[in-house]
Amino acid sequence: MNAYFLPRDRVDELVGRLLRAAEVIAPKRVETGDVFYSPVSSPGEVAWDYKTAVEPLKRFLLPQQETVLRFSTGEKLRVEPVLEEKDRIFLAVRNCDVTGVNVLDAMFGGEIEDPYYMARRRRATFISLACLEADEQCFCVCGDAGPFLKNGYDQQWTPLAEGMLIEVGSDKGQALADAHQDLLSPAEPDQVAEKLQLAKRAEETFGEFRSYIAAAMRRLTLAETPDEVWERLADHCVECGGCTFLCPTCSCFTVTDRLEGDGGVRERHWDACLYNCYAREASGHNPRAEHSQRLRARFFHKLSHQWAQRNGRHACVGCGRCVVGCQAWAHMSAATEAIRRG
Amino acid sequence: MSNPYLPDIATIQRVKPETYDTTSFTLKFDDPGVWERFRFRPGQFVEISVFGAGEAPFCISSSAHGREDFDITVRRLGRVTQALHAMGEGAQVGVRGPLGNSFPLDEVAGKHVLFVGGGLGLAPLRPQILEVYRQRDKFQSITVLYGARTPDDLIYRDELEQWQNLEGMRCLLTVDVGGDGWTGNVGVVGSLLSEVKFDVGQAVVFVCGPPIMIRFVVRDLVAMGFGEDDIISTLERHMRCGIGKCNHCIHGDKYICLDGPVFTYRQMKAMMELEP
Amino acid sequence: MAEIATICPYCGCGCGLYLHVANSRVVGTAPMRAHPVSRGRLCLKGWHAHELADSPDRLTRPLVRRGDELQEASWEEAVSEVVRGLQGVIERAGPQAVGVLGSARCSNEDNYLLVRFARAVVGTQNIDSGLAAYSLPEQIAAVSDARIADLDDADLIFLVGAEPGEEEPAVGAHIYRALQRGAKLVTASVRRHALARLAALHLPLKPGAEAAALGSLLYELVVERKLAGDADVTDLTAALADLKPAGAEGKTGLAAALVSGAADLWQAAEKVVVVFSSALAASVEGARAVSAMGAFRALGAGPRVAVLGLLGRCNLRGSWDMGVRRGFLPGAPAGDLAAEGRLKAAWGGDFASGEGLPAWEILDQCQALYVMGDDPSRNLPDWAARRARLEQVKFLVVQDLFLSPLAELAHVVLPAASFAEKDGTVTNLEGRVQLVRAAVKAPGEAREDWRIIAELSRAFGKPVSPQSAADVFAEISQAVPAYAGLSHHSLQAAGGAEIGRDGAADALAGAISALRAAEDGAQAAEQFPLLLVADPTLGTWAEEVSVSHLPVAGREFTVTGKDYPDGMLVLNPADGRKNDLRPGRPVEVASAHGAGRMQVKFSPEVPEGIAVTPYHHAARHRIMNIVAEVETGRPVFAPTPVSVGAGK
Repeated sequence: MNAYFLPRDRVDELVGRLLRAAEVIAPKRVETGDVFYSPVSSPGEVAWDYKTAVEPLKRFLLPQQETVLRFSTGEKLRVEPVLEEKDRIFLAVRNCDVTGVNVLDAMFGGEIEDPYYMARRRRATFISLACLEADEQCFCVCGDAGPFLKNGYDQQWTPLAEGMLIEVGSDKGQALADAHQDLLSPAEPDQVAEKLQLAKRAEETFGEFRSYIAAAMRRLTLAETPDEVWERLADHCVECGGCTFLCPTCSCFTVTDRLEGDGGVRERHWDACLYNCYAREASGHNPRAEHSQRLRARFFHKLSHQWAQRNGRHACVGCGRCVVGCQAWAHMSAATEAIRRG
Repeated sequence: MSNPYLPDIATIQRVKPETYDTTSFTLKFDDPGVWERFRFRPGQFVEISVFGAGEAPFCISSSAHGREDFDITVRRLGRVTQALHAMGEGAQVGVRGPLGNSFPLDEVAGKHVLFVGGGLGLAPLRPQILEVYRQRDKFQSITVLYGARTPDDLIYRDELEQWQNLEGMRCLLTVDVGGDGWTGNVGVVGSLLSEVKFDVGQAVVFVCGPPIMIRFVVRDLVAMGFGEDDIISTLERHMRCGIGKCNHCIHGDKYICLDGPVFTYRQMKAMMELEP
Repeated sequence: MAEIATICPYCGCGCGLYLHVANSRVVGTAPMRAHPVSRGRLCLKGWHAHELADSPDRLTRPLVRRGDELQEASWEEAVSEVVRGLQGVIERAGPQAVGVLGSARCSNEDNYLLVRFARAVVGTQNIDSGLAAYSLPEQIAAVSDARIADLDDADLIFLVGAEPGEEEPAVGAHIYRALQRGAKLVTASVRRHALARLAALHLPLKPGAEAAALGSLLYELVVERKLAGDADVTDLTAALADLKPAGAEGKTGLAAALVSGAADLWQAAEKVVVVFSSALAASVEGARAVSAMGAFRALGAGPRVAVLGLLGRCNLRGSWDMGVRRGFLPGAPAGDLAAEGRLKAAWGGDFASGEGLPAWEILDQCQALYVMGDDPSRNLPDWAARRARLEQVKFLVVQDLFLSPLAELAHVVLPAASFAEKDGTVTNLEGRVQLVRAAVKAPGEAREDWRIIAELSRAFGKPVSPQSAADVFAEISQAVPAYAGLSHHSLQAAGGAEIGRDGAADALAGAISALRAAEDGAQAAEQFPLLLVADPTLGTWAEEVSVSHLPVAGREFTVTGKDYPDGMLVLNPADGRKNDLRPGRPVEVASAHGAGRMQVKFSPEVPEGIAVTPYHHAARHRIMNIVAEVETGRPVFAPTPVSVGAGK
């Protein structure tokens, strides 16, 4: 695929054009200092120097709470879907998060598509910003999702000394580059070399967290992990659900109806497979009544070969958000370590 | 691209109480065009919406042939089933489906066919029983063994009486606990397996019922010599979307909604190994 | 989509969170990495905080009782109904016949104006916290001096009572992380909960001997290991005379070797943080056990010691600071003349400045009740007996988010705004004053609690000047010394500001008198072989309206009621088998005080010989022995010998 160079003094111009073309979601620093992927209204709002965002991109494609149907129960029952569609450009988002979207694509696409997810996904463009330095919690190298990617993005931007190296990864990304050729020049070999140098250096900045995904995958796939591992992990988990909500690829949801006037809406909400009642049946029977069973099911779904084959890859991108968000010590890094040690 | 979450509207045609807590509902789509596309196979299920109360999955319990409506048989348990039980003829519900895989039919032609049902487990078997019976000349024999906790828990009682007198089908009943006026067998449904005289090497068995009953019956069937691929059952789990998106019904490496609800004993064993 | 930085409305940790707002609706919750307590983490409740604001079950219009029915009414009608009802009682029986209960769920602004309304507008001194029987403001204020961040460089954490992983999860998170960096944990509790299983040493507490057990450890530290340093501990040593570990095992239930092991770990540490929970505070030895903690702080040698008392509700500490506490004015004990002067100036004249009745007596004696943001029925051990009395109250006003069981009995119900719909401040368990920000408009006609109170004050002919929550806070910063110099503006950074306590008592003196009075643990009897303990951390949120109405989180909390409709009785599996019981099945629980039916659960967390039930489940029955605590007079559950038999 093609690569271009965008001089530093033209970055804002290009961002301005994107803002006129679509809603732009970019890293934005809020008043507390935390960074969120959030709609921006001017190039100056983009926090180019951020390390990681509090949340992944999931919320934009699968909201924590969304209305899927509207119904009226008057004389005659009427039901209609509530679908939201708009063009969105996700700018300067991290490669782990773009990889997370690719995993969600496999889950929500396929033979039966989820129309709500796909309507948003089809109109989204992902421009990633490669990481030059890992954050404390990061282990994307273990998750095969960064800090630099070979593919999976529409465009991947790398901040070079004099401007952005823009790599195109899809037709959508190429079309975007074509539309703004006046600002771009073809990348020079020394610019590509500079990127490779930055990529190498970035890999040396990872901290204490890692994830033994290969070992965990093998043991989970063959159901070799003894029960004691899950029981011990259960003592290190308070079932807050934070790891699932912060995970770029966790996508469980539940559905509830809500009455409003002489009708109502059907909504879906994020759910967490770690919750006690997640699999509880109307009869009261709970096939995963034990906390340890729920942990086993979660990590099997995330890392086993069986599910990796269905989704095209395993479901950990190494963003480390579960490390930050864990109320105890049962995040991906701790869990794979426990599984590896047996 | 149609929206798989958007239910079609159907109207309750008939409400037939089966037991003190279980009722069959006959549903017909308001738009006759839907039926053309619907055409379910035995073993499949539907998601039924009672708007305001929510949505829940139910197996289709009526014949897949010769009708333009279908039945579900519902035990009063949770929010949705309670709301359904409060509805009468003419009330409207939402229907999504048919969902899931189905029982094999052509694949098992030429065999002795055994059905073992417990309690409400007769409901998912019923379409298959009716279909196998309709095509009975393709099979060596048809046997239905059905048990419930008490005589009052037997569903489809009028039909059971017919089945017991049908030529080309053997139908035996039992209850765990007898009562006044019950002159039939007393004992768990597994006790009827001793009545099976055919060559199990030439047979296939469909088993549905409560998990505990399935566990014991399957153990007996294996002991009798049934092959692991010739024992076929349906599994249930808490379910939301019915199309492999919400993840609630995952068991091991399978979605019950998408890969099931029909599984062979060999598949079920593998799932249990991954997620006991 | 906008991210509004605010504070979690549930437990006393005061975690930072963001509410996601889209199309004027709260549609999600995100954790706050920049927050000094929560640091990017939330618990199950916090993760679903948006569901509280968005719940379809919220009250949206005032309700006024007409005959047997609560009917929707305009604010005008409702306010004049409240004035008429309260005036009627005041005219007949005097203002002291009106009782007012404030709320740990409401903001400082809400609670402060409520206190002003009670004392200066209605003229009653009978104002207390809806959680009064459940907590110990005076004792906790005397001993708890630590910050949550103290856990981050502690090398020994001594956790007494229940488990913060269940009750105050954000504090639990600090403990889990301390364990990861090698800190040692010693736990002392009845249940061997998850953190106890990770502890270097677990001291199994004998129910009813909590203070004595602490005394035994203190004896080892003070007398045997001489860790008092230069401090004068003559009186303390005398108070501990009967608690020498080697001879006190019968009294405390703790083997001398365990006490010695704990003391070894203590001596090896450089910094110890003692953490106790509200479960301990609610126990029969609560006042004595909490006060005894004060002696740890008096140790002059050995490791540095800090004591952290946990509070299970969002603004419990702030509501106390505001004077929602018996015998306390905003910022000072009743009788403090300087405080009275300050408040007279701020409130425009005389007010009822006396000590007033505690909540349980308010419920018993007052003819009219005004209850803001709480259902005190849930927090009283003898609720079963009191409910009938509440039905006799001549005039009951409840302002809340939902139609709580208490609101169903009310004459007037006023719909309040949730945390997501109002500006204000809350003060967490360690004294961190933080800003809560309005993210959306309240549903229907619901209003901020403080605004409702301001409107009532006006209707009573005594208008208050503040026009906004920031104005109310400005008055608070004048009236309550610990809040001096703070303003909504100055609290904008994540984490707000940390404050000290007004009017805390002498910790060592309190410890000495508490230890002198420490009681022996309770014993089961032959006829009643199991000792039943009420645990306030178990299922504490299960029936709370603020979580039970949430679409996702509510499912997780209400399941206890579905599985254990008559109450949950947790037994060691061995005891269950011995009594031929099956999990989930009903059992008949009998004591010398009464009997009742519960459903049984097996858990190895509960030691043999002991049965545990959630506090709120015990309160539904008349099985347990309820005694009046000597120090406070509050009704508390005493560990009660019971028998269990298979129910029908």
